[in-house]
Amino acid sequence: MKVVYNWLKEFVDVTASAEEIAARIALSGTNIGGVEKGVLGGVVDAEVTSNRPDCLSVYGIAREVSAIYKTPLKPIVPKPVESTTAKASDAVRVAIESPELCARYTARVIRGVKIQPSPAWLRERLEAAGVTSISNVVDVTNYVMLELGNPMHAFDLGKVRDKSIVVRRAKPGEKMQTLDGTERVMDPGMPLVCDGDGARAIGSGVMGGASTEISFSTKDILLECAYFDPISIRRAARSMKLHTEASTRFGRGVDPEMAEVASRRAAELILQLAGGELLSGVVDVYPGKRAAKKITVTRAEILRVMGADVPDKEVERVLSALGFAPVRVDQNRGQEGALLAAWECTQPSWRAEVEREIDLIEEIARVYGLDKFPARLPVARTGAARLPQYEAETRLRERLMGLGYREIVTIPHVDAQRDELFRAANVTPAKLANPLSEEAGVLRSTGSVTVAAAIEWNLNHGQRNVKLFEIGRRYALNGAEAVETPVLAIGATGEVRPQGLHDGARDYSFADLKGDLDAIGTLSGGIGWQDGGPEWLNAAKRGRIFLKENELGAAGMLAKRVAEKYKFRQDVFLAEIALGPFYCAYYGVKNARRYEPLPRFPAVERDFSLLLADGVKFADVTKTIQSLGIVEISSIEAADLFRGKNVPAGKYSLMIRVIFQSREATFSDAQIAEYSGKIVAALEKNLGAALRAN
Amino acid sequence: MATSVDKTLAEQGVQSAEQVAAFFEELRARFDTEVLAIQDEASWEAVRHAWQGRKSGIFVLITDNWLKKANAELKAVVGQGFNALRKYVDGRLAQLESEVKAGTEAWENVKDRVDLSLPGVVRPLGSRHLIRQVFQEIEDIFFSIGFSVVEGPEIETPYYNFEALNIPEHHPVRDDMDTFYMDLPKGSPGQLLLRTHTSPMQIRTMEKQKPPVRVIVPGRVYRRDNPDATHSFAFHQVEGLAVDTDITFCDFTGTIEYFVKQFFGANVKTRFRPSYFPFTEPSVEFDVSCVFCGGSGTTASGTCGKCKGAGWIELFGAGMVDPAVYGFVGYDPKKVSGFAFGIGIDRLAMLKYGIDDIQAFFQNDVRFLKQFP
Ligand SMILES: [Zn+2]
Repeated sequence: MKVVYNWLKEFVDVTASAEEIAARIALSGTNIGGVEKGVLGGVVDAEVTSNRPDCLSVYGIAREVSAIYKTPLKPIVPKPVESTTAKASDAVRVAIESPELCARYTARVIRGVKIQPSPAWLRERLEAAGVTSISNVVDVTNYVMLELGNPMHAFDLGKVRDKSIVVRRAKPGEKMQTLDGTERVMDPGMPLVCDGDGARAIGSGVMGGASTEISFSTKDILLECAYFDPISIRRAARSMKLHTEASTRFGRGVDPEMAEVASRRAAELILQLAGGELLSGVVDVYPGKRAAKKITVTRAEILRVMGADVPDKEVERVLSALGFAPVRVDQNRGQEGALLAAWECTQPSWRAEVEREIDLIEEIARVYGLDKFPARLPVARTGAARLPQYEAETRLRERLMGLGYREIVTIPHVDAQRDELFRAANVTPAKLANPLSEEAGVLRSTGSVTVAAAIEWNLNHGQRNVKLFEIGRRYALNGAEAVETPVLAIGATGEVRPQGLHDGARDYSFADLKGDLDAIGTLSGGIGWQDGGPEWLNAAKRGRIFLKENELGAAGMLAKRVAEKYKFRQDVFLAEIALGPFYCAYYGVKNARRYEPLPRFPAVERDFSLLLADGVKFADVTKTIQSLGIVEISSIEAADLFRGKNVPAGKYSLMIRVIFQSREATFSDAQIAEYSGKIVAALEKNLGAALRAN
Repeated sequence: MATSVDKTLAEQGVQSAEQVAAFFEELRARFDTEVLAIQDEASWEAVRHAWQGRKSGIFVLITDNWLKKANAELKAVVGQGFNALRKYVDGRLAQLESEVKAGTEAWENVKDRVDLSLPGVVRPLGSRHLIRQVFQEIEDIFFSIGFSVVEGPEIETPYYNFEALNIPEHHPVRDDMDTFYMDLPKGSPGQLLLRTHTSPMQIRTMEKQKPPVRVIVPGRVYRRDNPDATHSFAFHQVEGLAVDTDITFCDFTGTIEYFVKQFFGANVKTRFRPSYFPFTEPSVEFDVSCVFCGGSGTTASGTCGKCKGAGWIELFGAGMVDPAVYGFVGYDPKKVSGFAFGIGIDRLAMLKYGIDDIQAFFQNDVRFLKQFP
């Protein structure tokens, strides 16, 4: 709503400049988009919130200014000269068939007008307010709408059949050619203003019809000012994608009481600018007249909600200035500052949304000044709790950062085809009904798909060495229910270590991924690995991840088929695990953790260089050794592995390191020799291993 | 009084073996202290001379003043103590001599010196996403004044996102929150949408718990806006809600001011402007003095671009919980009152760190991530 300063001054005597006024009303509920200096004293762009249709007019803003500057608001009393012979009610009939859509319809008739361009002062004000000038009569209807907030419409009476107006609900599929020259299908249920034959639409609450449009040959006009149901107008404007100054005002609710005054004001201006004869009286059909609501506001409630008092005089002044006509109704009338003070207020017709005591409190507070309520920090009465997973998630994040991964935050909207690359067959994706674009058509079914996208971004921007993680959610549908699962997704590519002074370069490998996952796994008691994994991972370099028997996810190198879709020219590694069970285990493991006394006797290490057939796993070696039941073996580690050079084809060399630890005594050489002998024998027998001479 | 080797033991009142032992203990401690100052051959020589010097070294003085002049009963004890001390000092000095000499040689050999301008071993370091950092900071501030942290679903029902927040169908506010809807199977009982704010958790929290309520809700929200430098269709919020029998507007402004001063610094000014939200009343928009121009509206290069010369920056919407909302959760609006707010995290981070494109958060370019370790 653009408010022209000189126009505003016609209704309220203020000396403050446009900028000063803008700054003040911004602090009492009218947001200011800006002030355009110079034109007509300045133009204030008021961004009116949807609950304040009364401020979509110069007069409404003037009322705010009058309340804030404690200056009276001038009344609107237009007194156009009426015909002494002809009556409006003889010239036109009005019937409202759908009173639920049209609570009031007023019609005035002016005969013998001369349609011509508007004078400069009118054009200037309209243009400053952002409305294009058309002709004197049409301009007046727009002018009065901007001035008083009531949209109105002038019909060429000569084109209105039977001089009869019927307001009714639009029928399904009903069409009308609107003023902008396009034929539109009316939203069924919207109010339609029709003429005599009942079939041909002449206008609606959203926009006028072309068939009765004012032209330069128009002589007689019918001036409509009505009240239409806001919800039906809003729905119609949205479905027809037709947002006009009129539909905005009707859609938020105009002042029905003001309709007749606005019509009179318009008649006054039309007589002044276009001449003609105003028929006496007004055809005013008002089936929806409402009784003024009474609302009581008490000091006790002001104190309870606002936490500080407002003096009686201020309560009364503010409410009076805004039109609420407060009257003290409590037992202590006349006693200033009484704790039990209560004021009965009358809801003004332009403030339909003020219905409750809290609404009045807001009115008082915003005009009195929010800064007058002293800030204080309230004391908490109970302890505060973090999210249940807070500690586990924090530890996980710290550990990942320690391992060199950078946290990312991605938007879960992804391309359906990309999503499908990573999605398990039994998962129904969370598809959007109204995506902004196809590339953002579903919510990710995996954390991996967005991590892959982040890697893609980095590779495309010259960042070749990347280690990323995201703690987020993946989404799916289960029938008509949404499933959101917290997950950790990891992605890495390029060099894990660059060429430097102290170390050579090394590429990120599956072993890095596995080692890092094992490292975070220790937070939850350790993870286990099994062969297999999703199809989008390379079949030779992937694994399923378990927490006890609970499958958490998978890790591996991106399959070639998928990597090609992304045009990745270097190996990319991805992992994804579900975090719910991981966090749960974290707390279980933490609570069960107990100190283990340190051994008092020295440990003994023995290395065994084994020649094994390809396919024999390290796990087979450890299982074989463990099956011997030597309790003093505290660990079995893989120390070295190689193929080629001195190792026959089909075999590989594995050096294992066994650590013996006794809690009772220092080992004798004989004891260690005996254990070593058993180990070698078992490996030879069970796995066909050969001991290599070092 | 300090032990002196210039006087006899008798002059210093020493009569027992224990006193003699204590004197030697003190000398050993003095030596240990002096040894700490040895850095090179010169300082080593100074210490050596002080103790082993042939003319007036401490050993010579002990021999002359203590040992020779000791009475018969103490002579053996003094002799023993002296021998032990001399053995200790001689041994340490000899050891230090080789260390000092070796060190000097290493320094003389230029190629062995470390070049401090070269990097050490560079370990790969991770980083926390800036959005996460800001979430954490806000959580910590509110946690410190008794707010618990809760979270909720991003895929919501229209009831929680709109109706229970006093936004019935066809409310004009729904036009401003263009909403993503889920494509559900035909015949599904209701609709699902991507929450347009974290406010649904106000309802979910109050449904579960009786007052007093003090929670914040960090989370992601969605609005169907075309992406540009200041709009993303997914962004982040922290919702806040406090409801009790005695929460007032003054408590609300006090809490918000506390938060802002913690987050932006004590010098930041705050301001509340009346506004409108269906689920709060009175509703406010909350401004802080512009952190770029200090609230003056101008910078060295003219009008401040961040606040467009206003001196204030709009931060977020908030207000007292509308009594109608209590009706949806079974609270008695005559008995309880409270406040709610919704802080936009991305915007806050952009303001604090001078980021001019919201998309940078979600591209996750490592050159961006590295800037916020
Ligand atoms: Zn500024």
